[in-house]
Amino acid sequence: MADLEVPNELRREAKEHDMYLHPIDRDTYELFFGPQHMATENFSIILKMDGNRIEKAIVNPGFLHRGFEKLAEGRPYFTNIALLLRICVPESDVPENIYSMAVDEIVGWEVPERAIWIRTTVLEMARVSAWMFWIMGFGNEIGLYTPGQWAAAYRERFMRLYEELTGGRVYHIYTVPGGVRRDIPGDRWLRQLRDTVEYVKGKMKDFDEILFDNYITFERTEGVGVMDKRFALKHAVTGPNLRATGVPYDVRKDDPYYLYDQLDFEVPVLKEGDSLARVLIRRYELEQDLYILEQLLDMGPPSGPYMVQDARLKALPRFKPPKGDAYAHVESTKGDFGAYVVSDGSHKPYRVHVRGPSQSHGVTVLEELLKGARLADVPVILKTLDNCPPDIDR
Amino acid sequence: MKMESVEKPRVRVVGEEKVRIKKSFIKPWMGVKYLFRKPVTIKIPFEKIEPAPKYRGFHTLNWKTCVGCNFCGQICPARAIEMTWMEGEKRPHPKIDYGRCTFCQFCVDVCPTGALGFSENFYLTTGGLEEDLELYDWVPIHPDKVRELNEKFGDYRFPVERIEKKGDGVYVYHLRDGSRIEFKILGYGLRPPAAAKPKPAAKSSGGAPKE
Repeated sequence: MADLEVPNELRREAKEHDMYLHPIDRDTYELFFGPQHMATENFSIILKMDGNRIEKAIVNPGFLHRGFEKLAEGRPYFTNIALLLRICVPESDVPENIYSMAVDEIVGWEVPERAIWIRTTVLEMARVSAWMFWIMGFGNEIGLYTPGQWAAAYRERFMRLYEELTGGRVYHIYTVPGGVRRDIPGDRWLRQLRDTVEYVKGKMKDFDEILFDNYITFERTEGVGVMDKRFALKHAVTGPNLRATGVPYDVRKDDPYYLYDQLDFEVPVLKEGDSLARVLIRRYELEQDLYILEQLLDMGPPSGPYMVQDARLKALPRFKPPKGDAYAHVESTKGDFGAYVVSDGSHKPYRVHVRGPSQSHGVTVLEELLKGARLADVPVILKTLDNCPPDIDR
Repeated sequence: MKMESVEKPRVRVVGEEKVRIKKSFIKPWMGVKYLFRKPVTIKIPFEKIEPAPKYRGFHTLNWKTCVGCNFCGQICPARAIEMTWMEGEKRPHPKIDYGRCTFCQFCVDVCPTGALGFSENFYLTTGGLEEDLELYDWVPIHPDKVRELNEKFGDYRFPVERIEKKGDGVYVYHLRDGSRIEFKILGYGLRPPAAAKPKPAAKSSGGAPKE
């Protein structure tokens, strides 16, 4: 056998990332967590366990095999909407909106007021339905299945509203550069939305009783996976996870887009930085989002067109924006979601880069927080960080 | 630490006095009251889900007004559309493969003559037979026909029951109400296939001998 020259560095690295399932000694062993586990959704973690304690965790993503950014370079501008929204499934409107905002900026379109109102409303609805989805996942992780069932039922109401507005339930390919694809289907839809917001608001008390006030929730999350402010900023954590450590950073306040500078809402901030703080932050934000939706409904949609008037839109497959580049970002339930689009003047984008929040808190932070945790705390830490696996694999 | 220095207009720091949530043993039992309420789940064989009025489902195509411009084929993100040349039609028509289609309906948006449309029919489930899988690859039929079938059955299934493949490229669509649509596919692609080329000559020489 040939004696291959392998550098010592590589040897060490290979030893660290040794991925074979084998007992290292009597008490130390490797455990493959996911991708079948409900908490991990579509990615897995390789845990090196010492009894019940985790010595080391290696995140093992890549079960989705989607090269979104590269695929987007080979498709016309409008077509990319149907591709990029798959980056974040629970709130698919966020990737649609960041891409559309960036292309709007490149072309220099003034998006009509009505379209902006609809986009803001759709984003807030996406946030509320994503919180519902999160409550379902988190409830299941800690063994409280009942609130999860309720949340799924309430999310269904929002999906029905989406179905009437956009024609799709989960993947509403709705926001396009220049506006939105359809008008609001009448005042009946607005009344339904108000009813739904009122309904979910009335159910907040029940959620408090069964999930957020619950003794089990406190016991399982308090002091688990503590992340301090310095650590969070160093790892570029954004969104509710950052606000749970005491940094009041919200894109809707710090870099307002759409109608958010006219809306009145608060950014809740907690200081503890443990899993309980991350749970409670999400509960307060759900309250604020319902409040924002009410304000938007009080404001009412302005009249006018819902799509920009441009002769170039007559031939959509050959639509060519001018040369240029733009970055746009919004606040999603996962964190700061951004898209950078470069146009070279042809009918396909030269480069589409998506800045997803899950890369930071779903990979590096998760690996750090899992060190020294118990096996039973893995789903709690994972779900309170709330990552989006397609965003890691993009 | 730079982020802290940014001025925050309205930030609520949720302090201990504001966290009214206190852990409780008794409160979770309040959820029991839901046992006596009407369930929200839909019992599927006995209850029906009505899709929204403009739900994005299977396509329809008016063969008379389709000009075969291939805009739909160019915008399709999944490359599900293939232009198909048929006997008796001057221009190619889109053939849609629902194994690839994402139901984004950008093809409907870009259609310059409004020939391509969509219906609310959404059921994509099959019995699992081989011929069922071939079913979902079709040249869409006229919207009036789809509407008529929907009024008759009202279960939002695929309008075609069976696609019969005869020799020599002849396809027969057996619709759900028993009627048939028969046509001959000459070839695929943007350019007219070799079989389609002698057609204008035969047409000019007199009549339509093949029909």
